[in-house]
Amino acid sequence: MNQTFSFRRWQMLVGSHWAEHRKRYLLALLAVGGLQAGWYSFLLLIDHFGPINLFIQYATFYCGLFLVGCFYASTIFSELGSKSRAIQYLSIPASHLEKLLCGVLFGVVLFFIAFTVVFYIVDIPMVSLANRIIANEHQHWPNTFLPIGSVGVLNLWNNEWAPIVDRKYHLFLFGYFAIQSIFLLGSVYFERWSFIKTVVAFLLFWGVFILYANKGIEQHLPEGWHSYDLTRWIHNGDNMVSASLVTLPSTMERILIFLMQYSLPPLFWIITYFRLKEKEV
Amino acid sequence: MVSIQDLSFSYKRKTVFKGLELNLQPGHIYGLLGRNGTGKSTLLRNIAGFLFPQSGRIDALGFEPRRRQPAFLQQVFLLPEEFYLPPIPITRWIEHTARFYPLFNIDQFYKYTTGFDIPMQGGMQEMSYGQQKKLLISFALAVNSPLLLMDEPTNGLDILSKSQFRKIMAGAVDEKKCILISTHQVKDLENLIDRILVIEEGRILFDQGIDSIAQRLSFTLSFDPEETARAFYSESSLKGNALVLPNTEGEDSRPDLEMLYKAIILEGEKISKHFKS
Repeated sequence: MNQTFSFRRWQMLVGSHWAEHRKRYLLALLAVGGLQAGWYSFLLLIDHFGPINLFIQYATFYCGLFLVGCFYASTIFSELGSKSRAIQYLSIPASHLEKLLCGVLFGVVLFFIAFTVVFYIVDIPMVSLANRIIANEHQHWPNTFLPIGSVGVLNLWNNEWAPIVDRKYHLFLFGYFAIQSIFLLGSVYFERWSFIKTVVAFLLFWGVFILYANKGIEQHLPEGWHSYDLTRWIHNGDNMVSASLVTLPSTMERILIFLMQYSLPPLFWIITYFRLKEKEV
Repeated sequence: MVSIQDLSFSYKRKTVFKGLELNLQPGHIYGLLGRNGTGKSTLLRNIAGFLFPQSGRIDALGFEPRRRQPAFLQQVFLLPEEFYLPPIPITRWIEHTARFYPLFNIDQFYKYTTGFDIPMQGGMQEMSYGQQKKLLISFALAVNSPLLLMDEPTNGLDILSKSQFRKIMAGAVDEKKCILISTHQVKDLENLIDRILVIEEGRILFDQGIDSIAQRLSFTLSFDPEETARAFYSESSLKGNALVLPNTEGEDSRPDLEMLYKAIILEGEKISKHFKS
């Protein structure tokens, strides 16, 4: 018998997790859908000309994904927060890797799919309703003859309405998976109040990082040079005309962006695995 | 089956075990006795792999418990004092939990739940604490794990259920299984355990089989002051002095576990010396 990973055992673990939590998960998805419908209805009530535009849909999707996804991830290993539940969880005859992968399946993969499906289940009819209201009530912008065009449904994959940097790199989407993996680690690391404690720890870490990237790194730069962003440094000189900019080679920049996009979630999952393995109760 | 060598374990500031040695053999029901805070539950959790020793070695069924490998977890079942059962119907819980244990026997499980008179309909959250405990005991026994660790199993059970527990446990042990029961309720385990372990000050103070105890010690009631003076331990009562005496007559006397426990805790050195002689 393989002591590290067995697909059959992992399947049983997934089945047992679903059997135990399915009611809570389905109710939570219903609540998420209900909140989104409530938010869109509110927008329909207060804005009769351009409610639920593409930017609103984009912001709604990502705000919801970040908030609900991180909160949910912080509960994935919540069993470990109580002695009795932790003993029950750790005594299930499955390996730590299988337990982690079960958490990743529900917390990362299935949650993202379910959240996206629920988003569109609410989004598509609500956008269509908004278009009907516009068509029936106001064909033109107020005091003009400019026609109000119908609103399209957000396409997450072309990212048309995202801020410029996100259109190219899907940083919000990748950033979400990275931040969510930090909350997954937080759910193993902190026994109680894991969501709040992870938020505080993350903000502290982020604050130190930003401070270092902007001010700390300047200690190592020649005089007169400052950080412009993460990969560029500027020397203003006596006036703007003589300003110099040093930038990392584009290959290195691409490697850094690639690493930030793809390496953070697996890195935090690996740390979570070791934390789970060393968990005592 | 379980071999513990030179085990040391501490919580942040409190040392619990220092150089603890213990061997557990199959075919026995061990009673683990000790005062509050002496580390009975900690020992069970070390054996089950939920706590890691700071030094020393634990070998349970050929595994190192702290690695919590699936093959080890299939063969060890810990019934904790504080337990958790998910708020789902019993049948669904059984369906999804039992399949992790290859030796689980569903007929045995229903036999035990019937013996305990547990209602099988409805969700587990609707059951009382005692019913939940009986359900978990039934499950623990039906798993048929070679090593079963029970922490205060009779806490929360009513009088009839305690008697049913003894009956079921007596039928559940065989020569391949080792059961270690940690308890304060020694009376609940009389006629059930066949070896007594007493833990005190981070080590095993006493480790003897019931037969050996019956041969070496005598438990009696007496008004005789001479006999009382010879006793390792005495306690006055209306019926006379309850005594724990060296068994010089060679006649087996039924051990009174509560008296024995008090004698070991209060006069441990004398008792140990007597067993070594």
